[in-house]
Amino acid sequence: MKRTGAILALLLLLTAPSAPADDAERAARDAMVRTQIADRGIRDPDTLAAMRAVPRHRFVPPDLAASAYADQPLPIGYGQTISQPYIVAVMTETLRLKPGHKVLEIGAGSGYQAAVLARIVREVFTIEIVPELGNAARERLRTLGCRNVRVRVADGYDGWPEEAPFDAIVVTAAADHIPPPLIRQLRDGGRMVIPVGSPFFVQTLMLVEKDRGKIRTTSLMPVRFVPFTRRR
Amino acid sequence: MRRRVYPAIGLLSAATIAFQLSLMQILAITQWHHFAYMVISVALLGFGAAGTVLALFRNVLTAREDRGVPLLMLLAGAAMAAAVGLAQHPAVRFDAYLLFTGARPALRLLLTYAVFFVPFFLAGLAIGWTFSRHGRDIGVLYFWNLAGSGAGGLAGLGLMWVLPPAGLPAVLAGLSVLAGLLALPRKPGIALIVTALLSLLCVAAAIHCPPALVSSEFKSLSRALRLPGAAITRTAASPYGLVQVVSSPALRHAPGLSLTYPGAVPVHRGVFSNGDWVGPLPVASGNGGPRVEDYATAALAYAAGPRRTALVLDMGAGAPVRQAIDRGVARVTAVAPNPRLPDLLEAEFADAGTPLPGPPALTLVRSAPRTWLLRDRATYDLIILPTIDTFGGTASLDAIREQFLFTTEAFGDAWRRLSPRGVLSVTCWMDYPPRHALRMAATLVEMLAREDAGDPRNRVAAVRSWGTITFLVKKTPFVPAELRAIRDFCRRMNFDPALLPDLRASERAGFNALEDDRFFAELDGLFSPRRADLYAAYAFRIAPATDDRPYFAQFLRWRSLPNLAAAFGGRTVPFFEIGYLVVFLTLLQTAAAAATLILLPLARRNRPRHGKIRILLYFGGLGLGYLFVEMALIPRFGLYFGNPIPATAAVIGAMLFASGLGSFASERIDALRGMRAAVPAGIVMLAALGGVALTPLLLKTIAWPTAAKVLVSLAVLTPPAFLMGVPFPAGIRALAERNEAAIPWAWGINGCFSVIGASLATIIAVEAGFTALMLAAALAYLMPLAAGFGTRGVPSGGRARA
Repeated sequence: MKRTGAILALLLLLTAPSAPADDAERAARDAMVRTQIADRGIRDPDTLAAMRAVPRHRFVPPDLAASAYADQPLPIGYGQTISQPYIVAVMTETLRLKPGHKVLEIGAGSGYQAAVLARIVREVFTIEIVPELGNAARERLRTLGCRNVRVRVADGYDGWPEEAPFDAIVVTAAADHIPPPLIRQLRDGGRMVIPVGSPFFVQTLMLVEKDRGKIRTTSLMPVRFVPFTRRR
Repeated sequence: MRRRVYPAIGLLSAATIAFQLSLMQILAITQWHHFAYMVISVALLGFGAAGTVLALFRNVLTAREDRGVPLLMLLAGAAMAAAVGLAQHPAVRFDAYLLFTGARPALRLLLTYAVFFVPFFLAGLAIGWTFSRHGRDIGVLYFWNLAGSGAGGLAGLGLMWVLPPAGLPAVLAGLSVLAGLLALPRKPGIALIVTALLSLLCVAAAIHCPPALVSSEFKSLSRALRLPGAAITRTAASPYGLVQVVSSPALRHAPGLSLTYPGAVPVHRGVFSNGDWVGPLPVASGNGGPRVEDYATAALAYAAGPRRTALVLDMGAGAPVRQAIDRGVARVTAVAPNPRLPDLLEAEFADAGTPLPGPPALTLVRSAPRTWLLRDRATYDLIILPTIDTFGGTASLDAIREQFLFTTEAFGDAWRRLSPRGVLSVTCWMDYPPRHALRMAATLVEMLAREDAGDPRNRVAAVRSWGTITFLVKKTPFVPAELRAIRDFCRRMNFDPALLPDLRASERAGFNALEDDRFFAELDGLFSPRRADLYAAYAFRIAPATDDRPYFAQFLRWRSLPNLAAAFGGRTVPFFEIGYLVVFLTLLQTAAAAATLILLPLARRNRPRHGKIRILLYFGGLGLGYLFVEMALIPRFGLYFGNPIPATAAVIGAMLFASGLGSFASERIDALRGMRAAVPAGIVMLAALGGVALTPLLLKTIAWPTAAKVLVSLAVLTPPAFLMGVPFPAGIRALAERNEAAIPWAWGINGCFSVIGASLATIIAVEAGFTALMLAAALAYLMPLAAGFGTRGVPSGGRARA
């Protein structure tokens, strides 16, 4: 008992200095979800809960941690970015995820989107073409306890055929066309979301749906720091 | 004064101008060309700053000119040799894409400004010091300055064909050091000798080990090179840009590919120019499988009917040429504005053992596409314009680029080159809010109205995919069989018809839905007689571009800014028009810095006490006017000759040389009674005349042989340029007579206004057109006239009076 108490005391001592920082980050996260996401019309409770839970500051370079909860994308190196929180939320909600779903993500980047998805669905498969980013994302997700995420370092163009079909696909690094293999790996009734455009400029969210073999696309909205809700 | 200083000033001027061009090229390769423009504009303020320093420290500097000027030339050379290496150092290197992410990138931008400012400042100090000490010889000195600048511009562009971009600045730095050596006094002293040796060492080191150019990690080329197995397989440098070919097993290109495409997208080699994507090198076809080009909206022209002859205006890296040949077009003419690209295409196909066919099956033309349209007399079944914008939009990065191929007049030229059943095809990427597609529709409708082609709804078809929209304009009304073929094409490809003569509203979003139906309503509005109301009411500029305002990609409407900010968020608005806003940012930065530099000498105790406003008007007006004329002429002569880069060099070279002659003759002209006022008045008249008559004259003679066009150009350019070379030395000479202390200040004012003039000219051209810019030049030359040099005596300063 005495020993347990000593260990507890030691743990308290070790964690004490970081507690205020954790509180501050949690508060920043809550504020982010409230002002950048919920206030802009995201209603899906699973999405909101996941965005509240995932520590975004752990997914950005240390020198940008102070901006982790800002309303903007941030560079993560190798010409890649971590998406603006609102875009992550919109893409997640648009997929209409259910707990039993299996999701494929193309372009793991820092692993943030995968961590958010992992809070909602059964399995997440994410592919990253830049080895340094993919390996770092795998390690980060493991450290944060995201056990239902599998990371592969490869060209995401061909998808993950061994695990297909997928209930949903998120493409975070789109080419100038939607890769045909991904359309084939989308389950009938499944949904795919792609943000089209430069990460620092105006992006358009594109939804691709497969219904009884037929493909239909919808340009959802242009997005940047705030949603472009044009006046009706 | 030692005579050797004249050629030394010429050499230094040549080195400085060529160094400026070289930096523009390097910054365009490593960053955006817009930021190249901004960085160089700020750096060029070094000339204005030199005038300020000379004005402030004139008393200290007066006695040491024979050693000071060569010292500055040597140091300018050393600074040129070191500048690029320093700017590429990890502690300094900035990334334009990250400028909006925090304070650190902005700090790096400031450091970059500083690094590039130094050589211009030192060179400006050397030239300005010489001018201010030898005001009475200014005619000859200014001749060497202008002639050297003109030669430097030509030499810089010539060297870009043979030297790699990173190696060029060091060679030019050598010219500056040479100028310093030439200007050395008979007994230079140990300090100058050591400086000369160190400068030579700097130049030699930079030539021997040119810095590695690191591009922004967000540029297309950087991204492509991170793909697995990526490698640069071919490189070709020229003033048109650094062209590179990249191969990677993961590089696939199929813009706007239909979601019904059944095959595997082939791996391509990609072509990049200055690090920006140009297009894929076409792959050899013939395996019988589906071709990605046939599964894009741009294939509409072939789906709607057979074509025997085709004109590809701007062939990019060659994909549309390959498609035309594969689709059975018997005669293809492909126009390439960058002459390196057809060379590259021919070399790649020859290396692969499948040489491209020659004429008449395939004719490759190296020319600006619009110029070719104006010169060509053949007719075609199909004319293909290049795809507008890129995947996901470019935030109007091209907003300030003259695009003479997308004006109402250009579409009219293309229309007249169509065979009786010919079609004109143009594809745009869809952007949101819609801008490109609406302006394209407006341009087509206006063109048809001008050509008196009847109801435009019978002649225009458009098909939309998830990402692109292709317009097809037919010389004669579409017939039922063609409409059936278009609908069948849409069904097979998952595309939706957006415009057809007999279109039902329900057909428009069967496969690809939009956020709402307003795009279709706006599209229909453009085909109604009340389209002008839509131009006026729409939040962005969508009225067609014209030859006078050829800015197809400039959409920003200032009065809409508050509404746009309210609808889209204030922080978002700049990203709609980043290209144009960078020009404004440049103008603000340079104007603020210039104001400081001009006002600073007025704070000193022995400042000029009289004639300040007149000096400001005179030398400011000259700086503004010269730049306005240059900026108005360069695009027009680029179009006239069909090769904008050599034309630019030739225009600048001819103008500067003619102005140099004007300067040389200025003393004699000045001595003639009443000429001080007559010269600016003559320039005003010629500029105003040029604003009205130049374009018709050039269009009338555009089909003439090149030699004849050169004569026309010289006849048009040299008289005003000659006159434009007279007022500056005349003004300096006038100051030298009675107010010598004000010369450095006047020189600084001229430099500052020249820099401001460059961005101001762009804004005037975008907002009001080239004619207005020439008229603005005429107004600017009224400023020296109003200053009254010669008619009301020379403005004298406190020092001269004392």
